[in-house]
Amino acid sequence: MAAAGASGKTYSFKAVLLGEGCVGKTSLVLRYCENKFNDKHITTLQASFLNKKLNITGKRVNLAIWDTAGQERFHALGPIYYRDSNGAILVYDVTDEDSFQKVKNWVKELRKMLGNDICLCIVGNKIDLEKERHVSVEEAESYAESVGAKHYYTSAKLNKGIEELFLDLCKRMMETAQAEERMKGNGASQSTSNRRGVQIVDDEPQAAPAGGCCSSG
Amino acid sequence: MSQRRGIHVDQSDLLCKKGCGYYGNTAWHGLCSKCWREEYQQVRQKQIQDDWALAEKLQREEEAAYASTQGTQSQSQAAASQTHPAPPSLGPFSKFEEKKTNEKTRKVTTVKKFFSSSSSRTPKKETQEGRTISPSINRHTSLEMDQVSKDFTEFLKNLHKPGREILKQCRVFIMNVSSKKELKADELSECVQDFYQNMADRLTGHFKGSSESVEQVMDQVEKYIMSRMYKVAFCPETTDDERKDLAIQKRIRELHWVTIQMLCVPIEEEIPEVSDKVVNAITDIIEMDSKKVPQDKLGCIKRCCKHIFSAIRSTKNEPASADDFLPALIYIVLKANPPRLQSNIQYITRFCNPSRLMTGEEAYYFTNLCCAVAFIEKLDAQSLNLSPEEFERYMSGQASPRFHSAEGEQHRAEAGATNPVLEQLNHNLEQLTGLIARQERLVEAAQSMQADLLSWPECVQREVDNILEEYPLEILPRTVAAIDAHDVDSDRLPHPLTPQVCAQ
Repeated sequence: MAAAGASGKTYSFKAVLLGEGCVGKTSLVLRYCENKFNDKHITTLQASFLNKKLNITGKRVNLAIWDTAGQERFHALGPIYYRDSNGAILVYDVTDEDSFQKVKNWVKELRKMLGNDICLCIVGNKIDLEKERHVSVEEAESYAESVGAKHYYTSAKLNKGIEELFLDLCKRMMETAQAEERMKGNGASQSTSNRRGVQIVDDEPQAAPAGGCCSSG
Repeated sequence: MSQRRGIHVDQSDLLCKKGCGYYGNTAWHGLCSKCWREEYQQVRQKQIQDDWALAEKLQREEEAAYASTQGTQSQSQAAASQTHPAPPSLGPFSKFEEKKTNEKTRKVTTVKKFFSSSSSRTPKKETQEGRTISPSINRHTSLEMDQVSKDFTEFLKNLHKPGREILKQCRVFIMNVSSKKELKADELSECVQDFYQNMADRLTGHFKGSSESVEQVMDQVEKYIMSRMYKVAFCPETTDDERKDLAIQKRIRELHWVTIQMLCVPIEEEIPEVSDKVVNAITDIIEMDSKKVPQDKLGCIKRCCKHIFSAIRSTKNEPASADDFLPALIYIVLKANPPRLQSNIQYITRFCNPSRLMTGEEAYYFTNLCCAVAFIEKLDAQSLNLSPEEFERYMSGQASPRFHSAEGEQHRAEAGATNPVLEQLNHNLEQLTGLIARQERLVEAAQSMQADLLSWPECVQREVDNILEEYPLEILPRTVAAIDAHDVDSDRLPHPLTPQVCAQ
C-alpha cells in the first residue's frame, strides 16, 4: 500500500478511523477536509472516504482516510477494513468511559493482527466538553504510551488539534515506509506478497506488510 | 464364424499388430497397451501442433485485418465526412443494438440462474448447458471483443513504438495463458498479477514515474486482457465460486423479511426522490454482473454507492458517515440479491489491477461490499436486535414482521408510516372492496330492472285483457244504403239542378 520509491515519488497511505459510533469520527474528518462543523452548507456528499493530498517536507503524500462503521454489530468486520492500512486513528469521547474501553479493544486487536507495522493514534475527542470529562488525562496518555501509540486531544467543534493529528500521523507513516524501503534495499527481494486485494475470509490473521512496491498512487 | 469362435484361433490374430510380442486389444486398434500409448501420443502431439499453427495463423490474419481496417477506416471516414454525413451515425446505433442484444442474452442467463438455484443439485450440468447455449452468443462476444481490441489498438497508437510492444506483450500473454488450460484459478490470478506487475514496472520506467499515465495504460491493458480471458477466468469450474453464489443467493432470499428499521438505515423511502435513488442503487449493483472487466465492475459498485450516499444525504441532510453507509449498503444488497455475487467479488479480487483495488475510492467501496457480504453471511438475531426466538420464527417463515405489525390497529398505522408501498397497497385494497360492493349493488339493481321489464308486458297484457273482458267488442250490423236511395242524408243535399230554358 504505502507505495513510494525514490524521493520524487508520491507516498500513498491508507488510514482507518476506528471508534464507537457517536464519538465524532465523521466530524473529525469533515473538519479536517472541509474545515466545517455541523454546517448546512457542506458540499461533500459523504464523509466515509476522503482523500487528502499533502506536501510534507517536499514529499508528496496521498492520504486516504477510511471511515468505519462504529456500531457494535459491525465489530467483526474490522479486519476487512484495516487490512493493508498504514495507520489507524482510534477515536474516543473524553466524556464517555465506554468509548475509551472500545479503543483499548481495538488496539489489542490491531497489534495482534498487524503487529508493529501500523502507526496508531489514540484520539480523545470533544475536549470542548472538559467539564464532563470521564477519562482522565493520565490514564489515557499512560495507556497510549504502554502500547506504543501516540495520544492526541482534539475538538472538532473548536477545530483544535486536528491538523496536528493528521500531519503527525503522516510523518510517522512516512518514517515507517522509509524504514521498510531501506530494509528492502538491503538485499530483500521485492515483495510481491502485498498485492493481493481484499478477500472476504476475515478470520485468517494474515499480517500483511505495510510497505509495498506495486501501487504508486 | 464357428471357426473363429473355436479354440483354434490363430495366435497372430491376438498378438499386437506392431509385432512386439505382447497381446493386442481390439479396443486399441489391435495394438498392445504400450504400442497404443506411443501411437496415441504421437497423434495427439500432432493435433496440438496443428492447433497451435492454426491459432497462430488466425492471430496473424486478425492482426493484418485490423491493420487494414484501420487504414481503410480512416480513409473512408475522411471520404464519408466529405460526401455523406449519414454513416457516422451508424456506428453508435449498431453499438446500441449490440448492447441491447447483450442485455437480452444476459437476461436469458440470469433467468436460467434463477431457475437453476431452486434445483441447486446440478450446478455442473447447468454450466455446461450455459457454454453451449447458442452460437449467437459467441458471435456477440466476438463482436464485442473486436470492439475492445479496436479501442485498445486505437489507444496504443498514441504511444507509438512502446504501444506496439505493449500490444505484443498482451497477445503473447493471452496465448500463453490460454494454452495452459489446466491452470487453477489461483495460479491464473498469480499469472495475471505478475503480468500486471511487470507491465507496470516497465511502464513506470518508460514514463519516468508519471503514475497517472501508467495508470491510464494499465487500465487499458486490464480491459483488453480481461475481456479476452473473461470466459476462463470468471467463476472457473476448479473453484467452488458457484456453490458460494448459490449459498449467498439462498441466504439473501431467506432474509427477505429484514426491514430497514432492523438495520437502522437512515433512509426514508417515502420521499420519492430517495426511493428513486434506492432503485438506482439496486439497478447498479445488479448491473455489475454484466460487466466483463474488473474495473467496470468496480465502476458499478461505485455508482451504486454514490446513489446510496445521495439517498442518505436527501434523508438526513448531512454527509453520510460510514455508520450510515454500511447498513444502507447491506440493505441494498439484501434488496437487490445481485446475481453471482461471490463470483464477481472473487473475480475482482483475483484479476483487478492492484493499484485500483488497493487505493482510492473504488477500493473503499469494494471493501464495504465485502463487509456487507460478510455481515449477511454471519447475520444473527443479535445483529438485528431481535430475540433468538423471533429471529428463528422469521427465518422459518412462521411469522413475518410486516404481517405481524399489520394485525394491530396502531401497528398498522406504524407500518403504513414506514412503508409507503404497504400503505398504498392497503389503500388500494380498501378501494377495491368498496368497488366490489358497489358492483354488487349495481348488479342487483340491474337484475330487478330486468325483472320489472319482463313483467311489464305481462301487466299490460293483463290490463288489456281486463278491459276487453269488461267492454267486449260488439260489432253492430251496418246498413249500406244505395247511392240513389231516398234517405235522410240526401235531404240535406241541395236539389239537383234542373235544366231551365232561358229566354233568348
